[in-house]
Amino acid sequence: MKEVLIDIKDLECKIGDQKILKGLNLKVNKGEIHAIMGPNGSGKSTLSSLLAGNDNYEITNGSIFFEGEDITDLSPEERSWKGVFLAFQYPIEIPGVSNINFLRTALNEKNKFFGKDPIPAKDFLKMVSEKSALVGLDNKLKNRSVNEGFSGGEKKRNEIFQMAMLNPKLSILDETDSGLDIDALKIVAGGVNKLKSNENATIVITHYQRLLDYIVPDFVHVLHDGKIVKTGDKNLALELEKKGYDWLKINSLN
Amino acid sequence: MITDKLNYSPLVKAESNNALDQFKGTLYPSKKEEEWRYSPLKKLRKIPFINDSSFVVKNLSLLNLPKLEGNILVLENGRFNPNLSFIDNIQGLNISFISNSKENYPYSTNLKKEDYFSLLNSSYLSEGIVIRVDGNAKIEETVNVLNIVSSNNCLVNTKIDVFLNENSSLHLKQYFIGNTTSKNGFINHLNNISIKENASLVLDKFQDLNLNFNISNDCINQGRSSKVISNTFSTSGLFTRNNVTNNVNGEHCHSELNGVFSPSENEYIDNHTLINHFVANCKSFENFKGIVKGNGVGVFNGKVIVHENAQKIEAFQNNKNILLDKESIIYSKPELEIYADDVKCSHGSTTGQFDDEAIFYLRARGISLKKSKELMILGFINEVIKKCNNIDYQDFIIERLLNN
Ligand SMILES: Nc1ncnc2c1ncn2[C@@H]1O[C@H](COP(=O)(O)OP(=O)(O)OP(=O)(O)O)[C@@H](O)[C@H]1O
Ligand SMILES: [Mg+2]
Repeated sequence: MKEVLIDIKDLECKIGDQKILKGLNLKVNKGEIHAIMGPNGSGKSTLSSLLAGNDNYEITNGSIFFEGEDITDLSPEERSWKGVFLAFQYPIEIPGVSNINFLRTALNEKNKFFGKDPIPAKDFLKMVSEKSALVGLDNKLKNRSVNEGFSGGEKKRNEIFQMAMLNPKLSILDETDSGLDIDALKIVAGGVNKLKSNENATIVITHYQRLLDYIVPDFVHVLHDGKIVKTGDKNLALELEKKGYDWLKINSLN
Repeated sequence: MITDKLNYSPLVKAESNNALDQFKGTLYPSKKEEEWRYSPLKKLRKIPFINDSSFVVKNLSLLNLPKLEGNILVLENGRFNPNLSFIDNIQGLNISFISNSKENYPYSTNLKKEDYFSLLNSSYLSEGIVIRVDGNAKIEETVNVLNIVSSNNCLVNTKIDVFLNENSSLHLKQYFIGNTTSKNGFINHLNNISIKENASLVLDKFQDLNLNFNISNDCINQGRSSKVISNTFSTSGLFTRNNVTNNVNGEHCHSELNGVFSPSENEYIDNHTLINHFVANCKSFENFKGIVKGNGVGVFNGKVIVHENAQKIEAFQNNKNILLDKESIIYSKPELEIYADDVKCSHGSTTGQFDDEAIFYLRARGISLKKSKELMILGFINEVIKKCNNIDYQDFIIERLLNN
């Protein structure tokens, strides 16, 4: 029996008066890779953001279980400590805070939660050079302010670098492939694959089948208007690439 | 009236006192005056100030300051406290006290009626320090001046005269401290600074007044090719006001005024600055950051005047503020007056709240809400903190700014 990592049940949410998720169900087991595709505005980033604990959205129904624990009401930092990681579609710039200082703070906050001592400077720096090599992050970016003035691709690499540093159980990659050149795509995908184990799982959100050649999903889901309307294997992505989404809308109406 | 219970300073000439008598009735500015619009003068007006030159602080370590290196001059309640001070003889550096000088101290004759607190300072002077640096002397050791008020309702009028002769340099660190056990004390201080040709001064100021008042007037005069860098960190105070006038009188000068101020609940911290570019070919940089908490009030009023014929001036002024709470208030007024045509000047002011998306980003990486806010503040003030070259001092400032 595979162990369930995250179990999303009947999730509904709104922002202001607008309903965005309308009863979403998704179960991800340890060791699996799930891809979520779907048209613009269908709710993919909303779902990612909700999983990471963004409280801008009001959850009107449903719940999220992580390793059997109901995390629906947990803060973003608590979810992070438990092993949830979101690679943002649009990573945020934080002027004046160096990438290194930011990551050291993040690791030490996690250590604190687990009652562990702060990571020694030497170990930290060793880890930084290992993990940045894994995603091909330029050395000079480590001392710059978080994402400030980074190119689109550099920001995406920086997300995967952070993921490597934090070693999460569940990684949600929200369009990490957009903005990456072909070489970078291979490097980043390679990084994701190297971090993959039987203990963790990945949710990959993308518009392009191409990424799934490198990060091969066990399941492909289509999110449409706040619900998962179809689930298949990796071939579904190929089919979507050819046909677009319209044929599904008709299906789901029927 | 502010002076009801006070005697004129014995340090001041009798005839000066007579001259000052006429101002007695109007020593407080009125709120109607533009310069004092946002100052909670009511708070000051309520206090019956007294003279009290007792020594209360037994040990400097009680003040939680960073490690002090170099000369340490402590003024407590307006009187030099030798027990807490340390004066090392350094070649080229001459330090003397006005109370020790044979002559009566002349009060500045060019004060106007509107110079309320300078007038008060001149006529009720408690103590003054004169620091002279000889020509060509580069003083490596820092001169620390601690100005502490530790008795309730105590009015302190102090003054520092700084003379930097040609090609000299000095690092002066001032601490204005309101002891945590005292309240309604008032340090009314005057810095008179003269920087001669090619000389350079770094002036770091730290203000932590707690439940006390502080008005600090700096008058800086710069000669040709001289340099001044002034960094002012104001972490707390019922009423803290800095008035800085920087007169750039010689060409090829560099002037920098930086600051971080963080008024919190019931506090008011105000930075009024004026840079006068009287002559051509100079550069000035001004950068103040405000962090306002609770119902605190912060003020930035920075004026740069480029006078006629002062061509090729580069003057940049910036004020950014974060309001941490709904009731937090900032009044920001950057002003630029330009009477020359070939200049490069800019000024700007922004005020905002924490960026929620940035906070979410940090939290999503496992950084607690509290720590995320701290990181955001650190990022915000980083470029000003970096102006201080001593890491201990930087850490100290950061710690105080975050924990006020
Ligand atoms: N803060 C907000 N205020 C109002 N509407 C919002 C807000 N955030 C999201 N929405 C709306 O919710 C819907 C879903 O947005 P979401 O970003 O989740 O889409 P997406 O599937 O990630 O799209 P894309 O493929 O373009 O990234 C959109 O219609 C969007 O306009
Ligand atoms: Mg999206």
